[in-house]
Amino acid sequence: MSGPLGYSLASYVRSSRTLSNWLKPIAIWYADLSGYRKVGLRYDDLLVEERPDVQRALTRLTPREAYDRAFRFKRASQISVLHKELPKSEWIKPEEDIRYLKPHVLEVVKEDQERRVWDTVNVVRK
Amino acid sequence: MLRATRLLTYTSSKRGFATVVDASKGFKVSAVDNGQPTSSVTVLLKAGSRYESKPGVAHTLSNFAFKSTGTRSALGTVREAELYGGVLSSSLSREHLALTAEFLRGDEAYFVDVLASFIASPKFTRHELNEYVFPAVHSESSAAGQSAPTHALEVAHALAFRNGLGYSLYADTQATGNITAEDVRELHTRAVGNPSNVAILGTGISTESLAKLFEDAFSAHKTASASAVPATPAVPATTYHGGSARVAAAHGPQTIFVGFGSTASTSVHALHALAAHLNPAPALKWASSAAPLAPAIPAGVHARSVLLPYTDATLIGVVLEGNDAGALKEGAKAVVSAFKDAAAGKVGKEELARAVARAKFQLATSVEAREGYVGVFGPKVLKGEVATVQSALDGVQGVSGTALSQVAGDLIKSKPTFVAVGDLHVLPYADEIGLNA
Repeated sequence: MSGPLGYSLASYVRSSRTLSNWLKPIAIWYADLSGYRKVGLRYDDLLVEERPDVQRALTRLTPREAYDRAFRFKRASQISVLHKELPKSEWIKPEEDIRYLKPHVLEVVKEDQERRVWDTVNVVRK
Repeated sequence: MLRATRLLTYTSSKRGFATVVDASKGFKVSAVDNGQPTSSVTVLLKAGSRYESKPGVAHTLSNFAFKSTGTRSALGTVREAELYGGVLSSSLSREHLALTAEFLRGDEAYFVDVLASFIASPKFTRHELNEYVFPAVHSESSAAGQSAPTHALEVAHALAFRNGLGYSLYADTQATGNITAEDVRELHTRAVGNPSNVAILGTGISTESLAKLFEDAFSAHKTASASAVPATPAVPATTYHGGSARVAAAHGPQTIFVGFGSTASTSVHALHALAAHLNPAPALKWASSAAPLAPAIPAGVHARSVLLPYTDATLIGVVLEGNDAGALKEGAKAVVSAFKDAAAGKVGKEELARAVARAKFQLATSVEAREGYVGVFGPKVLKGEVATVQSALDGVQGVSGTALSQVAGDLIKSKPTFVAVGDLHVLPYADEIGLNA
């Protein structure tokens, strides 16, 4: 079943040293190529947010994180209207591109799964 | 030697009241088994509003009980407790936070584990605070704000004791705006950090098996972190101040509280008798009481005496409620003159006997129910004393007429606590009802 974060082989790749040594340069190159950092966005800004679980995760951001997210979206829209990229000094650096939303999403998904389990639990009298 | 004293207590008291046993970490465990069909376990923490560092943290902590911990999720706790048919609750007083599980006999291992996991490894997540805890806190505090007598007693505590015991039990929206999950965690850590500040009380279970269950449960939970426990700020001894306040309220009954505070521990028995002596509530519904205050209370005014004992102070007084503020004023005048009569020694032999009997019954009946049991014996178990109701009953039995009038005289000499809630155009000022405030 696909969650809000989609399919991922990342954990498998990370577990193998050879594989991650091979793929990491390609991943870095690809992330840079996709260009979202050049309009001032982080990877978690691209997460599909039109789902109840991600909406719930968004309410759990700190006020600062929520403000920064809104600011990045505004800046990116403006850049998009102008058909430009940000000046290079304002690009998101790879070390700034942190997964600020992913932990919250995973938490919400876990809660939803737990609720589903409890709602369909089969009680056996001992 | 410990075993010998234990046996002695069991045989000497048929009801098996409370031998205090130190569990593995030093928690005080005490239980009584009267053969009732259900059991209950209460964990008593020194985390009442008296010990909070910011306004409202204690109320928030009490609503954080049974949320997710290192080993349990909040939803799982609720659903499992339902499957076992138990009830989990937390109740807050000015001094203590009581976390209680009530359940059928035989399910104690599960419920003890729930309580132990909240003591050992609560998570205090920010999203639970915002999504579940604050809404509950707000609805409780707004419900309390709607109740005029509750509001009057809150104000009375603030006037009488100012800091510590004077802090409000309820966190309103203003207070919660300032509270973070870290504040709640800090109060919890301070409360459980020193095991001698934690008492575990059981009913319908034996002391030994309760202590054993908690030891097993704690060894299963590894303690959250071995980091240094923040030092408990020394709680200053309570002093009584007193004062008067009038609070406008557009809804609910008109309410007046007239009372006094005492920090003398020796006079507690006499205060019980005095409260019973003043109480105009009849023993039979719709009847009129023979208490000296009863005939002076106008019709339509409901009056009852309140006695709120804390570890180092007592608040005693009369709460009057009614729709007619003018009648309430007459009632309050009668209360003040009743206090003065008691101080002047106008307590008949018969009246004293009646007051003592009522006070004894109140004391004895209060420990029958589980809540009263925890409220009365909890503080004693925290001190490590063996708690029996008999000593209190004997103490009240020994109250003489002179002791009663002397304690009333001491109260009258101190500054009174007067609170009026309602229509301020009609409700009296403290000096208008004969108080020397």
